[in-house]
Amino acid sequence: MSTFTITALNGVSYAFILFLLAAGFSLTFGVMGVLNLAHGALYVLGAYFGLAVIAQLDQFWLGVVIAALGTGLLGLGIYYLFLRHLYDKVPEQAVLTIGLGYAIANIILWVWGPFAKMGMTPSAFTGVVRVGTLAFPIYRLVIIVIGLLVLALLWWMQDKTRVGAIIRAGMDNKEMTRSLGINYGVVSTLVFLFGAALAGFAGILGTPILGAYPSMGDALVLLTLMVVVVGGTGFIQGTMLGALIIGLLDTFGKAYVPSVALFTSYVIFIVVLLVRPSGLIGRKVF
Amino acid sequence: MATRPVDLLLGRLMRKAVAAPPVAAEGSRALALFKAWLPALVILLLLLVLPSFVPSYIQSLVTKMMIFALFGVSMNILWGYGGIPTFGHAAFFGFGGYVCGILIIHGGIANFWVNLVLVMVITALLGAGLGIPAFRVYGVGASDNPIYFLLVTLAFGELLVRVAISARSLTGGSTGLSGIPYPDLGIGVSINSYSYYFLVLGIVAVCLLVIYRIVNSHYGYALRGIHDNERRMQALGFNTWLYKYTSYIIAGMFGGVAGCLFAYFGGTMVPNNMGMAMTDIVFLIVILGSASVYFGPVIGAVIVVGVDYLASMYMPERWPLIMAAIIVVVIMFIPQGVGVLLLDLWRKVFHGSAA
Repeated sequence: MSTFTITALNGVSYAFILFLLAAGFSLTFGVMGVLNLAHGALYVLGAYFGLAVIAQLDQFWLGVVIAALGTGLLGLGIYYLFLRHLYDKVPEQAVLTIGLGYAIANIILWVWGPFAKMGMTPSAFTGVVRVGTLAFPIYRLVIIVIGLLVLALLWWMQDKTRVGAIIRAGMDNKEMTRSLGINYGVVSTLVFLFGAALAGFAGILGTPILGAYPSMGDALVLLTLMVVVVGGTGFIQGTMLGALIIGLLDTFGKAYVPSVALFTSYVIFIVVLLVRPSGLIGRKVF
Repeated sequence: MATRPVDLLLGRLMRKAVAAPPVAAEGSRALALFKAWLPALVILLLLLVLPSFVPSYIQSLVTKMMIFALFGVSMNILWGYGGIPTFGHAAFFGFGGYVCGILIIHGGIANFWVNLVLVMVITALLGAGLGIPAFRVYGVGASDNPIYFLLVTLAFGELLVRVAISARSLTGGSTGLSGIPYPDLGIGVSINSYSYYFLVLGIVAVCLLVIYRIVNSHYGYALRGIHDNERRMQALGFNTWLYKYTSYIIAGMFGGVAGCLFAYFGGTMVPNNMGMAMTDIVFLIVILGSASVYFGPVIGAVIVVGVDYLASMYMPERWPLIMAAIIVVVIMFIPQGVGVLLLDLWRKVFHGSAA
C-alpha cells in the first residue's frame, strides 16, 4: 500500500513537471497554432542557464527568473525572426524548429560539455515530509504547489483578462480580430515570449528531479506534444489533464510493467490523435 | 489511351476517365524525349566513369549522395506531388535498413536480390499498416490543416525508435545493429566498397526511373490534382483516399530501398535513423532541392550530404549548427528551393526564356 501511495505521489509531482514543461507549448501551439518543436531544447537551455547563474550568484530564485528571461528572449527572437513569417506553413515551421532545437542542443554541448547535470535543491526545500511510515521529498511538494500556481495564473489569464480574450478571439478568427483594431501581432509575440519563458522556468525547476543533458530536448518535446495533444488543445485545463494522464501512466507503468512502459504513452498519443485529434477536453483549433 | 505498366497496376484499381497528360506530336516525340532525358543520360555516364578519376573517399561520398537522393525523391512522392506532409518518412528508411540487416544477420539470407525484394515487401506492408490509421486524421473529411497527420507520422517514427531500442536481441538496442556485410549478388562477383558504388548507381537509377514513370502517369497526375484541390478530385469521382494511401505505401517502399542500401553502405543501423533528426534532414533535402521539380531532391541530397562531409572534416562537432543555418537560409530566403532556380537558369540558357 505504501509503495502505491509513494508511486502515486511521484506520478503527481512528475505530472506537474510535465505540466510546467507543456504549459508554454500549449499556449503557442494550442492557442496560436505555431508549432515550436524547439520547446524541449529551450527547456534544457533554461536548466543549464539557470544552473550557471545559481553557481555564480548562489541565489536559487534569481537563477529561476534569469533562466526564464533568457529563454523567453531567445524564444522572442525565434518568433520574431522566423516563425512570424511562416504563418500557416506547418511543415516548414516543424523543419525549422527541429533544426533550431538541434542547434540549441549543440550550443549547450559546446558551452557546458556533454555531461549530465543534476540541479541542486534550494536549501530551504531539502529534506522530506514524514506521514506515518512514508517519506516524501519536500521539493516535489513545492513543484506541485508551483504547478498549481502557474495553472491558476494561466487559467485566470485565459478566462478573465483582456489578453486572454484577444488570444481566444485570434484563435477563432485572426482576420476579424485584426479588423477590430487589435494589434494581434504584438499580442502573439508577447504570448510566444511568455511561452518560451515558461519552458526555461520549467527547465530550471525540473532539473533537481529530472536532471539535464544536452540532447534531452528530443525526448522532452515528444512528451510535450503528447501532453498537449492528449489533454486537449486550446485550453490550459486540457494541458493539466494531459499531464496527469501521461505522468501517472508513465510512473505507474515504470513501477509495475516496465517492459511496456516505454510505449504506453505513444500508443495513447496515437489513439487520441486518431479518435479525437482535438484532445480529450480540447476544442478544434486547426 | 496510352496504357503504361504503372497505369495497369494502379490506374485500373481506382480510376475514372482522366485526360491524358500533354504529349507532343508523334514525329517530334522521340526527339523531345531524347532532349528531355539528355541531362539525365549525361549525368549517368559521368557517374559511370567517375570512379576512374576520383579517390575512393569521393566515390564513397557520391554513393551516400545517391542513396540520400533516392530517399529524398521517395519522400517527394508524398510532399511534392501529393502535398502530404509526412514527418515520419525516416521511419521507412530506418525500418528498411533494419529489416535488411536483420535478414542478413539473424535470418541468414545472404543473397542481395532476395533481401531487396523482402525489404520492399516488408516496408510496403509497414506502409499499408501505418497508412490506414494515419489517413484517418488527414484529408477532406478530417481536417484542412496537416498538423495532425504530421504529428501522427512523427509519433510512428519515434515509436519505431523505441521498439528498436527495446528489442535488443534483434536490433542491438540503442547501440544499433552492426556488422552488416557488403551484399552478395549471387553471381560470383564479390562486392567491395569500389564495386558497391556501381550497384547503388544501378539500383538508384532504376528506382528514380520507376518513380518518374509513376509520378508522370495518370496516377501521378491524379495525385497532383489531389494536391491542388482534393474536393474537386472527389467531385470528379476519384477515390482520393486510395490515391493518398497507395502513394504513402509507394513512397515508404522506395524509402525502405534507400534504407537498405544505406545499411549495406555503412554496415550499421542505429535507432535514430528512424527518428525526428533523420526526418528533418530528408525534409531539408526536399525543400532545399525544390519539391516541385522531379530531380530537386537529388540536388538537395548532393548539397546536404556534401556539406555534411565538409563539416565532418573541418568541424564535426558543429554539424547541427551548420544544418540549422542551412535550414534557416532555405526556409526564410529560398523557400521554392534551389532546383527551381537551376531549372530557370537551364531554360534561359537552352530555350531562351525562363518559362
